[in-house]
Parts: sequence; structure tokens; C-alpha cells
Amino acid sequence: MPILQKKNPVDFSFSLITALASFTVVLLIGGILAVLVRESSLSIQKFGIIKFLVSTDWNPVTESFGAATTVYGTFVTTVIALVIAIPAALGIAIFITEISPNFLKGPIGIAIELLAAIPSIIYGMWGLFTLAPIMAKYVEPALQKSIGKLPVAGMLFQGTPMGIDLLTASVILSIMIIPFTASISRDAFNLTPAVVKESAYAIGATKWEVVKNVVIPYSKLGVFGGIALSLGRALGETMAVAFVLGNKHEIATSLLDAAATITVTLANEFTEADTDMYLSSLFYLALVLFVLSFIVLAIAKFFLLKAERKYSR
Amino acid sequence: MNIEKRRKLESFIALLLSTLAAVFGLLWLVFILGDVLVHGIGALKLSLFLNDPTPPGVTGGGLRNAFVGQLLITVFATLIGVPVGVLGGTFLAEYARGTKIARIISILSDIMVSVPSIVIGTFIYAILVKPVGHFNGWAGAVALAVIMIPVVLRTTEDMLSLVPWTLREAAFALGSPYYKVIIQVVYRGAATGILTGILLSIARVAGETAPLLFTSFNNAFFSVDMKGPISSLTVSIFQYAMGPYDEWHMQAWAASFVITVFVLLLTILGRLIIKWRYR
Repeated sequence: MPILQKKNPVDFSFSLITALASFTVVLLIGGILAVLVRESSLSIQKFGIIKFLVSTDWNPVTESFGAATTVYGTFVTTVIALVIAIPAALGIAIFITEISPNFLKGPIGIAIELLAAIPSIIYGMWGLFTLAPIMAKYVEPALQKSIGKLPVAGMLFQGTPMGIDLLTASVILSIMIIPFTASISRDAFNLTPAVVKESAYAIGATKWEVVKNVVIPYSKLGVFGGIALSLGRALGETMAVAFVLGNKHEIATSLLDAAATITVTLANEFTEADTDMYLSSLFYLALVLFVLSFIVLAIAKFFLLKAERKYSR
Repeated sequence: MNIEKRRKLESFIALLLSTLAAVFGLLWLVFILGDVLVHGIGALKLSLFLNDPTPPGVTGGGLRNAFVGQLLITVFATLIGVPVGVLGGTFLAEYARGTKIARIISILSDIMVSVPSIVIGTFIYAILVKPVGHFNGWAGAVALAVIMIPVVLRTTEDMLSLVPWTLREAAFALGSPYYKVIIQVVYRGAATGILTGILLSIARVAGETAPLLFTSFNNAFFSVDMKGPISSLTVSIFQYAMGPYDEWHMQAWAASFVITVFVLLLTILGRLIIKWRYR
């Protein structure tokens, strides 16, 4: 079937219109990249690439800008969120596919997907009004009393527990990405052929041994894809963390310090940028975020496609 | 302890931990939804829908402007995003079926679905706000449409692919050109699926805040002028929740409640339709 139908004029126009519509996606991705590069050119020329990425300056008054503090904040919140989310998500996926009775599978799956559908601003507001006070009053003092007493790990929990900090933001972020990871892992687990599992049971494996030695190795590509996808989401999440991070441009050594991520800086400062260099530097941050998340998402897609190809064979 | 017992114990502990993880995940859902429900219903008043915001300290203010603004932005985003998405998906599943181009665009759309929405906001700011010189509702609608397009495009492609190829062949055999086959046979077969995709994509953009912050911005007054800054529920929630007044916080909870119920109902409706139609 030829892509553009030349025989019938109506068919030709219709195929052309649909072709144009689908090319908007390519145009949009190219357009975002081009526009962000153009808008940030002022800042790129002044600060370069390496210098911008390693500089911890963020001073609108002296017009000296660097991305290190925000990239650091993005990195730390994402990593902690993944550390909390991955075990929980895998547990959920194992529960749904292997443990739960059949009548519970559907409802729990739907509940997890609803968690994914809640708008991020709701997470953010809930974090500010409900989670942050709980963190400040109970969780953080408890952490300081236990882990905070240890010699090296204690460094992470110094300072006054305010609830508006890296830890609270990471917890909210982890709640947001659990559903993504869980539902993709569940789908991957479900693809393990019953025969393979049954043969493991037949030689006397326990349920956990089947999960550990058969299901997880079989579906690891899909699980990696799910984790990478959540990583991409976490990098670009704005509203869930904007409320509880404090937007402070410093390299925080303690998890109880306020910090800034790329997204939070954009949300808070974009409409306030009063000089061309300031605005251009914010566009530069957006460019860094776009490139970073595009790469992560492309890797995620690569894993998922590989998994798809493996299972369809 | 012998090895059999140890293996059984290990299995029991691991499965217990998985179950606890599932409980942990569900607990958050109950916690968040419960909190929004309790605070939201408590703050829900008729004046929220009927009145415009009042200056801080004056009671009886509402968010009528934000409800109307949100509706306008979402409707126009749907009007822009859905046709482009559906037609684009048609190209991938029909005219370009099986080609490399279709494959690449499909992968790019999947990536585009997860691109940070705040980046899309900055992009739209650069092309639709900066040249005009002021924030405007159209920019907000276009930003949401940009988020919608890849979602609708991919679901349309998937749903059209589910229509059996023999159905098309039957129509070809009667001598109809491809566009007639698509519109009269394929679309008809996939209509519920495409509609579901559209519903889910509306649910997705209705809660978006980040791309509206620097496109449609906010407006403390009632406005239906898409050429100027226009208020939206989500941006109002952000502003009110970050503000210092209890009255604002109450309204932010109420607005959150409305938006959460709307989004979750759309999502559940979408899932139900899929279940009812495709299983």
C-alpha cells in the first residue's frame, strides 16, 4: 500500500492531511529543541556548556548563572524517590501477579492506576498541607534520633526539621512514580509464560523462588523500561515538588535542607525574570532538562521495545 | 533448621513484604483521596462556583472566573489537539502502516507523552507569549493541545490497528477508495476506542498546571477573552495554596476536590468503556 494515494484526488488529499498531522509530532520535538536553543543562546554564549553545568552560582543581581545547584536538586530528589519507589512498586507488581486472589487483581490494579491519574498539583498541595507537617513533627525528628546519631549517615539529617526540604519532596515524588513503575512491571511479569513458571513449581520451587529465579529474570527488560520511564517522569515533575522544596539555590548536604530543582526554579522564577540574561538562563535550564529527560525516555523506550520484541518471538 | 523449612520461611517473608508493599501503595491512595475529600467537601460552597474572587479578608469570594477559564482553555485545547491527534494516528495505522516512518513517529510520540510539561510551557511562552507581549489564553490552550496530541495520536493508532484487516479488504472489494474505507468502516469500528483515548487525554490535561503558569497565567477578574491572561483552576490552586490566607487555602482545597473528582471520574469512565468494549 503506497503511503500517499495518487490515483484518487480526494484520497490523495486525505492521506496528505493525515501525513501532515502525524508529522506535527516530529515538528514539535524539533521545534522545542530549536526554540530553546535560540532563546538560551545569550546565556550559552556567556557561560558555555561545561561552565554552566558546574557553576553553583545563581545570582540574578550580578547576572551570574549556573545550573549545578538545580541539577543537583533534581538528581537528589529523583534518586531518593526511586530508592523508595522501586521496591514498593516491585512488591505491588509481585502481589498483583502472584499473590493476590483473582477477585482482587482488577480492583487493586485500577486503584494503582487512579493513583497515577491524580493531577500532580493535588500531590503538591497535599504535600504542603498534610505531609510536610507530619514529616516535620514525627518522621524527621525520629530519623535524626536514629540514623542522625550515626557518624557518616548522620550528616544527611542535620538541621532543623521544617518539612519543607529535599526529603519531603522526594517522598511525594516517590508516591507519584510508584504507579508508573508498578503497572509496567505488572504487565511485564504477566508476560512470563505459565508453562515456564509451572515447570519451576514442578521441581519443587517455592513461590518466592519462582518469582526471583523465573519471573524477574524473564521480565527484567520490561522492568528496566518501567524504571527508566519513571526516572524520566520524576526528572520533569514540577507541581508535586514546587510546594515543598523551598527553591533555595544551594548545594544542600542535609536532606532536611531546602533546595531547588530545574522544574521548581522554572515554575517560581520564569515570570519574574526581569533581564534578558536571566530569562535566557532559565531557557537554558529548560533546555538542559529537555535534553536530559529526552535521553532517559529514549533509553526507557529502547528497553521496552527490546522487551516487546523478545516476548513476541 | 533444615533447608526446606528455611526456603519456606524465606518465601513467606518475601511474599509478606510484597503484600505490605501493596498495602503501602494503596494506603497513600486512601490517604491522599481521603484528605482531599474531607477538606474539599468541608470547603465546598455554592459561592465557590457563583462568585468571583474577592480581595483577601473579604469573605464570600469564589472561583467562578477560574472554572470558566479552565473550561475555555480545556475545550479549545481539545478542539486543537484531538483532530491533529486522530488524523496523525490514522496516518500511522493506515496509510503508513508497517513503514519505518510510522515506527519512528510512533516512538517519538511515546517519548513526547512523557516530556516534562513545564518545558512545553517554556516553548509555548517563547513562540506565543513573547512575540505578543503579554500572557494569553490561546497560548495556554495550545500548550495543553501540544500535550494532548501525542496521547490521542498513539491511542488512535492502537485502536485502528485492532480493527481486523479483512474488514478493510471487504470494503476494498466493493471498489471503495481508501479514504472512504477509513471514514466509513475503520473509524466506525474503532469509534469507542478513539473516544476513550480522547476522554483519557482530557483527564490528563485537565489537571496540568506547569504549562499554564507562563502561558495563560492567571487573572483575578472574570474574563472570557482568550487574547488576554485567563484564570484556570490549577494555577489558582497553586497561587491560593502558596498564599497566606486561610480563606484561600479553603478555596484551594475545594477546587482540588472538584478537579480530582472530575479527573478520576473521566479516568474510571475510560477504563470501564475499554473493559466493556474490548474484553
